[in-house]
Amino acid sequence: MSLDGANFPLPDTGWEPTRPYWEGASRGELCLPRCAACATWIWYPKETCPACGAAELRWETLCGRATLFSFVIARHAFLPQYRDLIPFVPALVVPEEAPAVRLTTRLIDCDPEELEIEMPVQVVFAPLEFTGVEGNVQAPLFRPAR
Amino acid sequence: MQRESPGRKRNEGPEFPAEPPGDPCRDFTYEGDMGKSAEWGFASELEDLSGAVAIAGVGESEHTRASGRTPREITASAVERALEDCGLAPDQVDGLMFNITSPDFDAAAFREHFDVKQDIWESAAGGGMVWAGTAPAEAARALRCGDAKYILNVFSVAWATQRGEMTGGPGQFHAAERFKRNLELPFGWFPQPVYFATIARRHMHEFGTTEDQLGAIAVACRRHANLNPGAVMHAKKLTLDDYRRSARIADPFRKEDCCLISDGGGAYLMTTPERARDLRKAPIQVRGVGMGNSNAGLHWAEQADFTATPQVFAAPAAFAMAGLTPADVDIFTCYDPFTIVTLMQLEDMGFCKKGEGGAFVSGTNLHFDGGGLPANTHGGMLSHAYVLGIAHIVELVRQLRGEAAAQVKDATVGIYGGYTGPQASTLILQRSDA
Repeated sequence: MSLDGANFPLPDTGWEPTRPYWEGASRGELCLPRCAACATWIWYPKETCPACGAAELRWETLCGRATLFSFVIARHAFLPQYRDLIPFVPALVVPEEAPAVRLTTRLIDCDPEELEIEMPVQVVFAPLEFTGVEGNVQAPLFRPAR
Repeated sequence: MQRESPGRKRNEGPEFPAEPPGDPCRDFTYEGDMGKSAEWGFASELEDLSGAVAIAGVGESEHTRASGRTPREITASAVERALEDCGLAPDQVDGLMFNITSPDFDAAAFREHFDVKQDIWESAAGGGMVWAGTAPAEAARALRCGDAKYILNVFSVAWATQRGEMTGGPGQFHAAERFKRNLELPFGWFPQPVYFATIARRHMHEFGTTEDQLGAIAVACRRHANLNPGAVMHAKKLTLDDYRRSARIADPFRKEDCCLISDGGGAYLMTTPERARDLRKAPIQVRGVGMGNSNAGLHWAEQADFTATPQVFAAPAAFAMAGLTPADVDIFTCYDPFTIVTLMQLEDMGFCKKGEGGAFVSGTNLHFDGGGLPANTHGGMLSHAYVLGIAHIVELVRQLRGEAAAQVKDATVGIYGGYTGPQASTLILQRSDA
């Protein structure tokens, strides 16, 4: 996989294992895969269920409420493409329906200094845009729940 | 053993594979659910090698910022010094271990550099990181089977020189993994300083760990580097006040929570304890090795126990093999890309209870003369050089011989904690006269 493609670091929305996630986001839905046999949420996606070994995944739409698991206030652009985002808040959040899952995301519409672990957060769909990168991709970001 | 050819025997090292570039869908499996009580990893089964291997020689290159040197030049320099250290001639070396990710100095390169012709057993299951700790296990097997008599383990990087060409610097490896590429990088959850600042903040939340406690680790390492002329940060002081005042780069991390980016490398020579006695320096015995694995692989977000390392699986195995306990350890070294990684390994290897690492590292408890557990006495990757653990083994051997710059009095037992994320290793060494 090329790292210097024109749209790096936008996601490759056509890559099969995560395609339904990005398709859901484009519709404004937070979608995660579940084992069709035992209903275990499977994240990151895998070919077979880690709990029961079944091979069929079923993607479901979640309500979008979550709690903040941990976060960072990034003040340095570790990629030049992140430059216009600084400072920003990459984070892990735990969806309400799937307490064993941690989603990687970014927090927006917030004062980073007022964030606290375990606070309720709410999904919000917004385009990912990067310095020097053409185009954008709509993604599930999160903001503090109001 | 694969790919055998005249003068070229290579073991690709199935027991300790390098981090797989393959498809994580296929490579990673779970044993349980994501609940914190679930087993989220496992220990590799290793044969008992206590008393079968000694480290007889150590050497390291100059450690620098960007230098224009190649990894091969750096390794060659370290190897020359390791051979000088133990008094072995290049034509006596018949075993060479390196890492599959950086095979810059293999048997062919060794023969060319030293103008020698002997057959050399090779293994790509060595090098730095966790493999700096597990190479003796593979060497023990090779010594026992007669594959080799004198085995070098080598590792170097030129990442300071190469940094401009690397996507996210040392994060390049992660940027190439497709789940990370599609689920982490688009959100800016990249690279390592961001992963480990996320872990540090969670550790603070769960256990009350403070920034000052992380700072105490950085200060201890810097003090050791100030005493060590070979350390990149030898001339630069760091007090806890300096730490508090310094800029944050990825809250809660400041620059001083993060390791250096360096050019440098090291090498150590292993043989049987009997042969080691005939060489120049006092042999250091390998007493125990352990290897732990996380089922989450490189995906930290998936690791059920987010604030732990696979040392919880590696260290007990190594201590059991050695017949020792954490209380027996005089010198602690660990792979320390970030302050929090030192703190977690101290907890996970049993030097304090889980969650009490913050109190344990406070004050001067990690200083070489602090009366506690001297830690990364050469300065570690935080202040000595980011050469991915190989210099930690060199330091342990020097400490146990009594040759170190920040020498710990009467050091008898030393330990190394290796870490990559997906894996952790523990290596326990002991002075032979003890």
